Amino acid sequence: MSSIPWPFPSPGGLLSSLRRGAVARVGRWARRRQGTDPATTKLRPGRVYILPTGVGIVFGIMVFAMLLGSMNYNNNLSFVLTFILIGIGFVSMHQCQRNLVGLELTFAGTEPVFAGQAMRFGIAVANRSKTARYGIRLYREGIESDIHDLKPGESKVFILAVPTEQRGWITLDRFGIRTLFPFELFRAWAWLHMDISAVVFPQLATNPPEPPPTMVAHGHRQHDARGEEDFAGLRKYHEGDSPRHVAWKAYARSGQLLSKQFAGADTSSQWFDYDHIPVDDVEQRLSILTRWVVDADRTREDYGLRLPGTEFEPAHGEAHRRACLEALALFEKGTT
Amino acid sequence: MKVRPRGTDGSLLSSLPWTMAALAVSVAPHLPYLPIWISGAFFGCAVWRYLIERRRRALPSVWFRALLALACFMGVLVTYATISGVGPGSALLAIMAALKLLETRKRRDQFVLLFISIFLVMSSLLREQYLWSLPYLIISIVVIMTAWLRMSADHDEPARQSFSTGGRLLLYAAPLTVAMWIFFPRIAVPFWAVPMDTGTATTGISDSMSPGDVSKLSLSDAVAFRVKFDGPIPAARYRYWRGLVLTVFNGRTWSMNDPYEGPRVHEEVSGLSDPIQYKITLEATRQSWVFALDMPQSWTLDSTIMGPQQQLVRARPIDQRVSYDAVSYIDFSTNANLSKYARSWYQQLPDGSNPRTQALARNMRSAAGSDNAFIEAVLRKFNEEEYFYTLEPPPLGSNSVDRFLFDTRRGFCEHFASAFAVIMRAAGVPARIVLGYQGGEINPIAGHLIVRQSDAHAWNEVWLPGYGWYRIDPTAAVAPDRIDLGANDAAFEGFGAAWGSSAQSQFLQRLSMALDALDARWNDWVLGYGPERQNQFMEWLGMQNPDWQKLMLTMIGLVLALIALISLLLAWRYKPPASDAAALLFRRFARKTGLEPGTGETSTRFAQRAIQSGRLPAAAVESVTSAYHDARYGPGDESAIARLKRAVDAIR
Repeated sequence: MSSIPWPFPSPGGLLSSLRRGAVARVGRWARRRQGTDPATTKLRPGRVYILPTGVGIVFGIMVFAMLLGSMNYNNNLSFVLTFILIGIGFVSMHQCQRNLVGLELTFAGTEPVFAGQAMRFGIAVANRSKTARYGIRLYREGIESDIHDLKPGESKVFILAVPTEQRGWITLDRFGIRTLFPFELFRAWAWLHMDISAVVFPQLATNPPEPPPTMVAHGHRQHDARGEEDFAGLRKYHEGDSPRHVAWKAYARSGQLLSKQFAGADTSSQWFDYDHIPVDDVEQRLSILTRWVVDADRTREDYGLRLPGTEFEPAHGEAHRRACLEALALFEKGTT
Repeated sequence: MKVRPRGTDGSLLSSLPWTMAALAVSVAPHLPYLPIWISGAFFGCAVWRYLIERRRRALPSVWFRALLALACFMGVLVTYATISGVGPGSALLAIMAALKLLETRKRRDQFVLLFISIFLVMSSLLREQYLWSLPYLIISIVVIMTAWLRMSADHDEPARQSFSTGGRLLLYAAPLTVAMWIFFPRIAVPFWAVPMDTGTATTGISDSMSPGDVSKLSLSDAVAFRVKFDGPIPAARYRYWRGLVLTVFNGRTWSMNDPYEGPRVHEEVSGLSDPIQYKITLEATRQSWVFALDMPQSWTLDSTIMGPQQQLVRARPIDQRVSYDAVSYIDFSTNANLSKYARSWYQQLPDGSNPRTQALARNMRSAAGSDNAFIEAVLRKFNEEEYFYTLEPPPLGSNSVDRFLFDTRRGFCEHFASAFAVIMRAAGVPARIVLGYQGGEINPIAGHLIVRQSDAHAWNEVWLPGYGWYRIDPTAAVAPDRIDLGANDAAFEGFGAAWGSSAQSQFLQRLSMALDALDARWNDWVLGYGPERQNQFMEWLGMQNPDWQKLMLTMIGLVLALIALISLLLAWRYKPPASDAAALLFRRFARKTGLEPGTGETSTRFAQRAIQSGRLPAAAVESVTSAYHDARYGPGDESAIARLKRAVDAIR
């Protein structure tokens, strides 16, 4: 019934859109002014901005009223009180700004995530001065890190968890660092444009079809489950090798961890082929492939990935997994 | 409607006690003036709220709080009958703080509480200012600032940390405060008048006198006023500080009729001796009476006039300490003819009251023959018969003068003055009572006179034909020491023995005089720093024709300079330590080589690369590198840094 949209934006909506516009404009201005920041940036005084907070404005009004009252009564002690508060206002303004100036911010890496999870950008903030810094927080539109204090010489990693929706590159083009210390009367902040990018892997499919069967790569896969008896030699222990395969006697002799190799055991592998997935949607196919890669990686089996135009030979390990997932993430996205 | 959760999780345990401490410190000076139920409600709510947080209970419901708020507001209205003024205002603030405590759930709710406590501090200063008010103010501010910092501090941060941060910021703010306080232009006229707390009584002379009123005052050590004489201080027996004049007696209590309704006889006063000039600093009395040396001729207090009985009255009550200059004549005469109406007014006694006194008076008058002889006979009677001057007179019933004169025979000045006036009036001599102070103690350190409440005194004036009003002090006839030595030193019955003069008491005496001198100076220059004092001070500083524009410009200039200084101080505080200065210098060196140091490249490797590039002489690079190593990894003294700086500067 009331489906006719009101032709004007609601006052609240108007205000918030005005605010968004202003923030964006100021952001562009700051970026033009400061340029792109290197991966390690020290905050100069010139780029730390400061404005009173809501509490600060109320405080200002209160102090003004107190000044009027003191003048009216010619009461010298309430003049003292009023001027102490004004003095504290001035001091806390400078203290607030100084609390940020000289901090050194360094990009400290990300943890890879799948679309839908939050990308955790780590920014290390180092306090190289002799004085502790209090109540420091990093933020980005709608996101805030935890608040930390930094002792003299201390460095802490602040995490900005940016929610992701799509696979591909995600860029932290702009983030801020701010403090309300000491009395929350003022907010001092600085904008940084480090242009940090990270890859978001495709979303993990929730109900993937069965992965293709394990193939015998050299055509003589042993179907006999006891094929392990076919001892082929020793090789250096790799993480993920079964403890049952560790040559404990050799270990006792040489102190070196070695794994027994069995003919036929390490040749089994899976091929995950983009073109052989019975789903039409590209994103869904990628999701399914991603799930298969992740699951296969857990079993420590070798797996290969075939995308149109790219192919990863069967292998396993962290580097392989990462290469596959990145290829899936950036599939048809071009290179940044 | 969204219902806010009311549970508490103990997250305020680190800051709430401090906020409560801030409130307690700021409400404490109000306690003597607040009705007991408000103090009770305040502390009750505070303890209750703390227990809620401690045990992680739920806060009381909205309805309960609304009802409580309504009840408290009505309570204030009933108690004070108004909500404007310092008294009801502070009561409302205390109530608001208590109720806000009960709904404080988030960290930020405490801001409101701290703002309330600042207002409470302010209103306590409006109410009264003493020597200890400034130290107490600073303590309150430190507690409030600590509480403020506790609000946003980490939970594991010790309170000591917040305390020292708050103290440090206060220290930075101190010079700013002093500069603003000295130079902020003071104005003489208030913008608007808000009633002060006239409802609460202070010790002091009131506008009527019953037996026991003045003797009650004599126990109070409080300062009534201080006097600074331009010339020598007159002898104690001439120091009668005239206050108000009582003309109506109802058989027990003397009171004053409104001076403007009484007999309109403005007697002419003429001085017979040299004028005495002095300055009085009168403490707040919340009354209209202005005290001056008997007999005042001129005075500088605003809106003050002399009433028909030569009492000084101010149009608005003295609710703050005031200072005024005055000129008086110790020896004076009031040449006036008393009209018939006035004469009968000053002879009035209630019919049938104190019959024995009236009979005695008539007998003595007829025996004496003249008014002068009669007065002398009455004084002689007080002096020679068994009358005692005592601080603890026995209670008197109705016909108090009869009881005193014939039965108890013990009294304080008001008993003698009252009896004397009744005797005079019964015999047809016009008489009245003057209430004021007598004597005062000289502070040898500051050279001023301290008049205390214990110096309160009552004496008489009788009208003699051809002479006018003449001062007679019957107390002097009974206890001459009271007049010559002052109330404290007079040998009171059962009281004087306690006043020894041991070395210890002499030391205490000196100490109290020093404190009094400090207090007087403080009142004069700090609490009384008004337009006049400010001008004086500015002229002393060398400012010509100070006006508010000059003051304002000076203040702004000073404040800006101080802020620049504070900014420098803070920059210095946040300076990187010396070892980082080495890193900065090395970076400057690296820029001069024109090479970019690689990530993780050691300084030695970088130096090799710099030498290989051949842009700089190898010796220069090596001296920089070795100085850098000394500065960075050596014992960390400043000389290595200096050497590094020289080496880097040497490279162009």
